[in-house]
Amino acid sequence: MPIRLEIGLKPGLNDPAGQGLAHKARAYLGLRLEAARVLRVLTFDTGLDGAQLEKVRQAIFTNPVTEVSSFRPLAERALPDFDWALWVGLKPGVKDNEGATALEAMADVLGRAFGPDEAVYASRLYLLRAPRLGAEAAEAICRQLLANGLIQTWRVIPRGQWDPALGVGIAIPRVELAHAPSVQTFAINSDQELIELSAARDLFLNPADVPVIRAYFNDPTVRAARAQVGLSDPTDVELEYVSQARSDHCNHNTFNGRFYYQDLVSGERRTVDNLFKECIKAPTEALAAAKDWVVSVLWDNAGVARLDADHHYVITGETHNSPSNMEAYGGAITGIVGVYRDPMGTGKGSKLVAGLWGYCVAPRDYAGELQPALHPRRLLDGIIEGVRDGGNKSGIPTALGLLHFDPRYLGKCLVFVSAVGVMPALVNGQPTHEKTTAPGELVVMCGGRVGADGIHGVTASSAGYSESTPAGHVQIGDPYTQKKMHDFLLEARDQGLVPYLTDNGGGGLSSSVGESARFSPGAQVDLKQVPLKYQGLDPWQIWVSESQERMTVAVRPQDRQAFMDLADKHQVEATVIGRFRGDGKLRLDYGDRVCCYVDVEFLERGFPQWEFEALWTPPAARGLAEPVVTPPADLGGLLLELLGSPNLCSREWINRQYDHEVQGSSLIKPFCGRGQEVPSEAAVLLPVLSSRVGLAMSQVIAPDYGDIDTYHMVTASIAEAFCRVAAVGGDPEQVGGVDNFCWPSIIHDPRTNPDGRYKAAQLVRACWGLRDGCQALEIPLLSGKDSMYVDGTLTGPHGLRRRVSGPPTMMFTATAPVPELEAVQSLEPKLAGDLLYALGLTRDELGGGALYGLWGQTGLQAPITNFEQVREVCRALHQALKAGLVASACVPGRGGLGYACARMALAGRLGLEVDLDKVPVDGELDHMRRLFSESTGRFVVTVDPRRSSEFEQMLEGIPWACLGRVTKSQRLTATFGGQEVLGLTVAQMRTNWRRRFGRMV
Amino acid sequence: MPGRDKVKALVLAGFGLNCDWETAHALGLAGAQAVRVHISDLTGTARRKATESLDDYQILVFDGGFSWGDDHGAGVLLATRLANHLGEQLRAFLERGGLVIGICNGFQALVNLGLLPMLEPGWPRQVALAANDCGNFQDRWVELLVEPESPCLFTKGIKRLDLPVRHGEGKLVCDEAVLARLERQGLAAVRYGNGRGRRAEGKWPANPNGSLNDIAGICDPSGRVFGLMPHPEGFYRASQHPDYTLRREQARRGGQSLDPLAPGLGLSIFLNAVAAAKETL
Repeated sequence: MPIRLEIGLKPGLNDPAGQGLAHKARAYLGLRLEAARVLRVLTFDTGLDGAQLEKVRQAIFTNPVTEVSSFRPLAERALPDFDWALWVGLKPGVKDNEGATALEAMADVLGRAFGPDEAVYASRLYLLRAPRLGAEAAEAICRQLLANGLIQTWRVIPRGQWDPALGVGIAIPRVELAHAPSVQTFAINSDQELIELSAARDLFLNPADVPVIRAYFNDPTVRAARAQVGLSDPTDVELEYVSQARSDHCNHNTFNGRFYYQDLVSGERRTVDNLFKECIKAPTEALAAAKDWVVSVLWDNAGVARLDADHHYVITGETHNSPSNMEAYGGAITGIVGVYRDPMGTGKGSKLVAGLWGYCVAPRDYAGELQPALHPRRLLDGIIEGVRDGGNKSGIPTALGLLHFDPRYLGKCLVFVSAVGVMPALVNGQPTHEKTTAPGELVVMCGGRVGADGIHGVTASSAGYSESTPAGHVQIGDPYTQKKMHDFLLEARDQGLVPYLTDNGGGGLSSSVGESARFSPGAQVDLKQVPLKYQGLDPWQIWVSESQERMTVAVRPQDRQAFMDLADKHQVEATVIGRFRGDGKLRLDYGDRVCCYVDVEFLERGFPQWEFEALWTPPAARGLAEPVVTPPADLGGLLLELLGSPNLCSREWINRQYDHEVQGSSLIKPFCGRGQEVPSEAAVLLPVLSSRVGLAMSQVIAPDYGDIDTYHMVTASIAEAFCRVAAVGGDPEQVGGVDNFCWPSIIHDPRTNPDGRYKAAQLVRACWGLRDGCQALEIPLLSGKDSMYVDGTLTGPHGLRRRVSGPPTMMFTATAPVPELEAVQSLEPKLAGDLLYALGLTRDELGGGALYGLWGQTGLQAPITNFEQVREVCRALHQALKAGLVASACVPGRGGLGYACARMALAGRLGLEVDLDKVPVDGELDHMRRLFSESTGRFVVTVDPRRSSEFEQMLEGIPWACLGRVTKSQRLTATFGGQEVLGLTVAQMRTNWRRRFGRMV
Repeated sequence: MPGRDKVKALVLAGFGLNCDWETAHALGLAGAQAVRVHISDLTGTARRKATESLDDYQILVFDGGFSWGDDHGAGVLLATRLANHLGEQLRAFLERGGLVIGICNGFQALVNLGLLPMLEPGWPRQVALAANDCGNFQDRWVELLVEPESPCLFTKGIKRLDLPVRHGEGKLVCDEAVLARLERQGLAAVRYGNGRGRRAEGKWPANPNGSLNDIAGICDPSGRVFGLMPHPEGFYRASQHPDYTLRREQARRGGQSLDPLAPGLGLSIFLNAVAAAKETL
């Protein structure tokens, strides 16, 4: 009989979780809770007897110093005068990590195995003392603060209905699928029938693909081959497979599309035959051929570049927008844990060494009338917590991140997650970055089990958000299971047991086995061998489920025992589910029945390219103009307002809760300076502790420039990311890039997306910027991803529904080895008396910048990047850093020189004297423009006055000036024309900079 | 044992632990032969026998991480597992004079095992590391003040040092009687300082979790078992310190240099451990 154990902190002890709830109730909902206590609830659905239960209660589940526990209700002991009891548990089928580890520990302590029908379920009971809280408010606390209806269920019990003997009762969220698995076939007699089937089954098939799919299954040769295995019309397994593989998410149909671009003012027309090939693949291939440090790009789960003579680094970036938008915590944790499988599944596997994050959300204090799935504040909190738990529990330093607010992300938020790994160049004498499958090798699935969770994730993310978006694809990542698998697979790799591996991410087995089978080529898999979380799944569900923490590995038959022994040591589930073959066929069985038999190559042939019209109206023709502004004599107020603005103020609380130092590799941390509170320009790690080569990484987004021209948005982002890695000591001759595009839908529809052709033109121009920037700075794109459909349809006032499209956004991540560790540098000035220099030219470029943003204006003159100058300045700086001549280096980006100097003063807790007359400028610029222009390719650095002439000799050929000096005064001052135009103390700036989020923990 | 002069340190690995590589690296720099040993190799599994034994080592390291995901309390399931399988080996190890250090999650495991503070026989659980008062995981550098009168062998000769904390459950809690004994016997080996050499007096963030009496780490009465929340392997080299670039600049002005791979003060704790273990060889 099921029994419930309740565990709580001893009544005298602080309950931080309860206090956190009370805080959120007041902050988010304006509700006052006088007290809140949290009880952990474990429901045992096992055959244990009373003595065994008592044994595990004491030995495992109760800390005698801090906790009390009971198999009877504890509520009245925990909070005698509670008014409400709120119980929150998981819905059936949602992964219960806590329940699983409980069972594992019990098995160990009791020396008893548990059967498939035995389980432990974890839940929480929240007790509130809130005499004036109404039933609706209590319900709101559950719905909005404690639970997400997609994965959790709850009960609200007022004190009056509380049964002291029964307590909250017993809930067993067991999945009971009263369903006998079956395979369906579909005689598709017309295109229209397939289109209707696609709609009915949520296949999201592109109508243009439909004739190709039908033609394949109607091909007499194909039919004859299928007849031999007992198949005729396509099965549900096959159609789901096609749907997954052809989705925009997996196939990048948009980026592989043909674009007909037209400039509506000049009339110029250009056709881009394939955006990906022309702007990403071709330039990267050319650079890869020319640079021996580029090891492996454009085909694997992540890109590989050389770190030092014996090691490579591996990098990729992903987004997890759609799931996070609906279930912030689950989406984000699944995102970070998921992206970690990419480097893990690159080559023969790499060790994870860093995670990076980037969040784009609507303002945290949004008070408008549109109703997003989650309010931005709750959304952001959930995302932050998800990445925290995913990253920290993975044991991978979360090295760097960014947060950007824009009301247009209300339709869909963006969650960027990037992952960096390292691999030895050789394992057992073989190149680690190479991998392949061969006929006869076993197909082995490792890690978690398969459930109905995560079905249709990739197809759902290939669409905008609406209330009818299927919720089945939300999952909760499990970093613990994955960490064990990571350690296991690396050990297997080092023993030479892994000729090939790849991750199960989007599309699940359909994607991982489908891709692996292209090498041998061919595979036969029995879906009945796949370990399931619960019975009753149809074969097609097993095939496309995105249940997390799984990798697919090829294992030579003779290595099977060694591989399985190692899996047992690491307590990782590994199951042989099939064999690779050389017949070019992908064959799936379910027991003795064949349910899929297609050519491995089938998905690569004959599908029509997507086509887009792209109509560009240049910014001036769109009516953009520079604001007409007369600057104030004193710029201090403007700088203070900038420092307090949402996109420039301190967001220390985020990375502070992320372990950024685990693995002992940190060198330049996410925070720098006295007090360690100012964000660093880039992170530097020492991923191989025995090496003397570091790895610098930076990331930049600049969506506001895209409101003027996405070309300049992308070039500015590349330039800034490049400068940032140079600022911390990265080698500007070995910079790699990762592009992550997040775009609103560019599929024109006169009713639902009337400006789709303009958004398509923005995408084309962004890709041109990417191509030009990478070519000019010689940055191979080590990896990249695109996530289209950053749109949402939201309910507004009076019942109207409005589409909100996100701004075109591209995150650029730059990486560079730091070959001379002595060259690493941080941005804070170190010593009073040092000289302050500006490198690079300042132009009248405030368009799309932070200053105009204060007034809600865009302007026209976005920064136009001069790549030649960027390169020359970075080269000069790098030489000076290597020579030990530069005592600090800061990159003026958003907020210009003003914000850069403010950050430097804050970080160094020192003063700066700046003479704005000396700033190297192009044209006539007033003091305000000098201080806030966002021209790219600039640095502010400080230098020991005794070494200034040595330093200056290194600056030949680039614009530079000595602007002033570092002072002890803790005052940032600027003069122009002999007048003081700025005078702020560090304390004043710090107060403003931390006012908004400074008290958040 | 004749002919053996290198101290062997066993660094636990697997099941969600994650500081094993750098901790082993630091111990190696401190002169030990450090071996990362998977917990399954010590305990065996349902299918395999144990292949490693504590008998071959002089130092046992419970390093940081999230053992078993920290479900059911940080360090709880690791402690349960080891108590269940290694109780006798652990007793023998301690009787031989073996040294044990638990860092962060390892400290949490040690208090749950009852190896700390070990005020009585039978390893009762007398100290807990509860959720931080601030309500969240924190990664920040703290100042540590070393208790001069402590029997702790790991902190000998150190007065103060900076180390990072990286945890969500580090608030040391115990009843008054236990606390009084910890204080009386000098077992509160390290405390959070205010950054200027004085105690943090419970003030956040200098005391990052609300620990009683600012206690950051404790040892057993013999001084051979030591657990602390901050990470000494997080400052095994100079360039892990957040002020590294500042200190290097100050050195440069004096015509010196500060090698990024030069030892950090955190390494002293491992050097002390290796020196103490050498005496048992």
